[in-house]
Amino acid sequence: MTNQPPAAVLAVEGLTKDYPGVRAVDNVSFSIDSSTVHCLVGENGAGKSTLVKMLTGALRPTSGSMMVNGSVYQPNTPHDARECGIATLFQELHVVDELTVLDNLTLGMERSRFGFLIKSDLDDKVVQTLAAIEPSIDPSARVSSLSVAQKQIIEIARAASSGANVIIMDEPTAALSEREVERLFGVIHQLREAAVTVIYISHKLDEILKLGDAVTVLRDGKHIATKPLSDVAGRSELIEMMIGRNLFQDYTPRSTVTDDVVLDAQGLTNKLLKDVSFHINRGEIVGFYGLVGAGKTEIARALFGADKIAGSILFKGRMVGNSPKQAIANGIALVPEERRTQGLFTNLSIRENIPVMNLRRMSDCGVFRASEEQTAAIEYVDKLSIATDSIDKHTEKLSGGNQQKVVLAKCLFSKANLLLLDEPTRGVDVGAKTEIYDIIKTLADEGNSVAVFSSELDEVLGICDRIFLLFAGSLKSEVTNNSDVDIAHILNVVTGGGEGTSQ
Amino acid sequence: MNLMSQHSSFVDPSNPRGNKVSAFLRTYYIYFVLVLVVTVLSVANLDRFDLFERGNFLNQRNIIHILRISAPLLTLAGAFTLLMVSGYIDLSVGSTMSLSAVVYALLAINGVPFFAAFAITLVVGFGLGAFNGFLVVRLKITPVIATLITLSLYKGIALLLVQDGVSAIKSGGGLKMPEWFNFYGREGVLLGLSSAFWVAVVVTLALVIVQNRSLLGKYAAATGGNPMAAKLSGINTKKTIFSLYAVVGVAAALAGIARSSFMSLGDPLSGDGMELSAILVVLLGGTAFSGGEGRVLRSFIGALIIMALTVGMLTLVPAYYQTLVIGTTLLAAAASNHLVSRKESAQ
Repeated sequence: MTNQPPAAVLAVEGLTKDYPGVRAVDNVSFSIDSSTVHCLVGENGAGKSTLVKMLTGALRPTSGSMMVNGSVYQPNTPHDARECGIATLFQELHVVDELTVLDNLTLGMERSRFGFLIKSDLDDKVVQTLAAIEPSIDPSARVSSLSVAQKQIIEIARAASSGANVIIMDEPTAALSEREVERLFGVIHQLREAAVTVIYISHKLDEILKLGDAVTVLRDGKHIATKPLSDVAGRSELIEMMIGRNLFQDYTPRSTVTDDVVLDAQGLTNKLLKDVSFHINRGEIVGFYGLVGAGKTEIARALFGADKIAGSILFKGRMVGNSPKQAIANGIALVPEERRTQGLFTNLSIRENIPVMNLRRMSDCGVFRASEEQTAAIEYVDKLSIATDSIDKHTEKLSGGNQQKVVLAKCLFSKANLLLLDEPTRGVDVGAKTEIYDIIKTLADEGNSVAVFSSELDEVLGICDRIFLLFAGSLKSEVTNNSDVDIAHILNVVTGGGEGTSQ
Repeated sequence: MNLMSQHSSFVDPSNPRGNKVSAFLRTYYIYFVLVLVVTVLSVANLDRFDLFERGNFLNQRNIIHILRISAPLLTLAGAFTLLMVSGYIDLSVGSTMSLSAVVYALLAINGVPFFAAFAITLVVGFGLGAFNGFLVVRLKITPVIATLITLSLYKGIALLLVQDGVSAIKSGGGLKMPEWFNFYGREGVLLGLSSAFWVAVVVTLALVIVQNRSLLGKYAAATGGNPMAAKLSGINTKKTIFSLYAVVGVAAALAGIARSSFMSLGDPLSGDGMELSAILVVLLGGTAFSGGEGRVLRSFIGALIIMALTVGMLTLVPAYYQTLVIGTTLLAAAASNHLVSRKESAQ
């Protein structure tokens, strides 16, 4: 916190984090200059969040070291990190709605005598810090009355007044409106003036180009580059560094795609989505690709009837989209993003999970035919090669990939013709990923349709016949997949880089 | 049932006056309800029943009586509020109260002087509350289950402490309750009101200060409002919760002493149902079941309302309708709260 020429406030050296079977961060070394805005970019799965978790003390590195202001830094908890002057703004807000702004700002730092709060210069200090950042917020207001952006500013003010000299911001603009983003940028500039270093993580390349002093690019867990943004030749160079040349892609056109439209969605509009229209053909795998918050999950839930939405959805000529019950009855099934909480009954066995969407199919007047349940379970465990020693195993004990297969089995058993898969391979190991892709392709070959909602480019490029590109709730462009598809164009569109060529 | 404590997401900049009105209503709602209940009971025709002086709910003797028998609930309400604000609950308060009543009566009947008996009982209450805290914080048992366990545990001990063949600790069999025993809960000391009532007032005021001015009060709100934020701010949430259970234990012991003194005996069943009454008044006072929200003083008023209703209705409707009427009142309160909060979130 001095006016000396920039010195490394934070440095990592040979930092590595291994998970069983995966090396999430691989021998990463770079350093961050003091009083700069340092951006961290990379595709999903590049290792950004793992790196941040190590910096904040939520994860311990497998090997390698970290230095803060020249001394060794080994945080065990987020609290340790804060003691060392590193504060983090997580994607979820950590403020207490029920307390006042001032109470939130001093939370955990209160001065007291015999357990009773005493007024101290701290109160004045945090109020001043807040006023410097955003004078319109009344310190005595209740936090519940503030907007998301204002709450975020409370967190920033708290971090700044706690003496943090590094503030990590993980996708801070995900929930903000454009005007609020401008405000936040102003705040970040002020922080930099006050000799605070900001580590800024975002998928939105425009933000990075506008805001950052330097950038670190990660790809597949490896460090690609750290350089001043003035040396970066615009978006295209960033994208090039992010994707490299060896993008996994083994798409082979499938012959079973037809021109029969099975699903036709027109003008889907809600809080996020803006007039989204598209159709899906029989036997086709379509991909919806976009960043977090682009509207993928919203579309999936709308097609399934889980959320009310304006617009029309015709499936095989019939209106759907009113309720999940109606969707299932018409042959639409959804595999939700949060499979543990929304897709599976983790307290039940594989056998009990599979028929759950269509119990009627194996019941007589409400009486359940147990033998059929067993037959079905054995059939699907075999068909989807679910790795388990027994169909009575509780699904919470299965690996992520096998859990996902059970959810797929559940949908298949319901006799769905249109499968909506939201992030189908998140948290799934590489082997199971390939198997799940094979299952998806087989399903499409059998004449079903599949919609994959994904934020992983590899995934949509690997299996989808057509790809819809989403940005900020709009369907920007449609790409027909082939072996020489323009990846840079896709990344440009989904990171907000101008209008794509519309269908 | 958090009557006035919904997250104020309804702050609508286009309508500042509407805001002020609804904020005012939210804050003072409970006092209007109290006035309403007292008015209705006072105006209603009481002539048909002779339990109180005819046709007059608002007379001195009646009020003194209500406040006297309200003392245990009034003592408990504030501490219970703080615990619920932190997002936790104690179902064993009734049993803690019973056990404290029995211990207090046992000490008194065996010749222990007033202040010593009083102090020892409070220490026992502290211990019982701390044990609840231990189960919840250390053994990580779900609060409802942990305190259901101690509900029957503490009551079991209370029953064991009373000799065979006797229903409660009272004069008889060569032992006699000391003269002073029912002074605390019965005799008027100031404005005709009992010491127990004034202790309840002092305890409530103290807890109001704790809630507004102490670390414990702030940490309770933070823990109940957003446990993750509290932890990330470096707050020792476990210590907070443990302390709050201990405070509730002490308050329950005070309530036990008040009731024991009022009844002149140590009844091992005297606290039965107290947990429900406590939850009731705290919710009526606007505390959120999910934690974060709630005011000590409003729960105190809530307790007054419930007691006024209970006693007042003795004069209006047959005893067996009372519970039904109280349930209906609460249902109305909960329903109106639901409607209000739905309107708020729709904005």
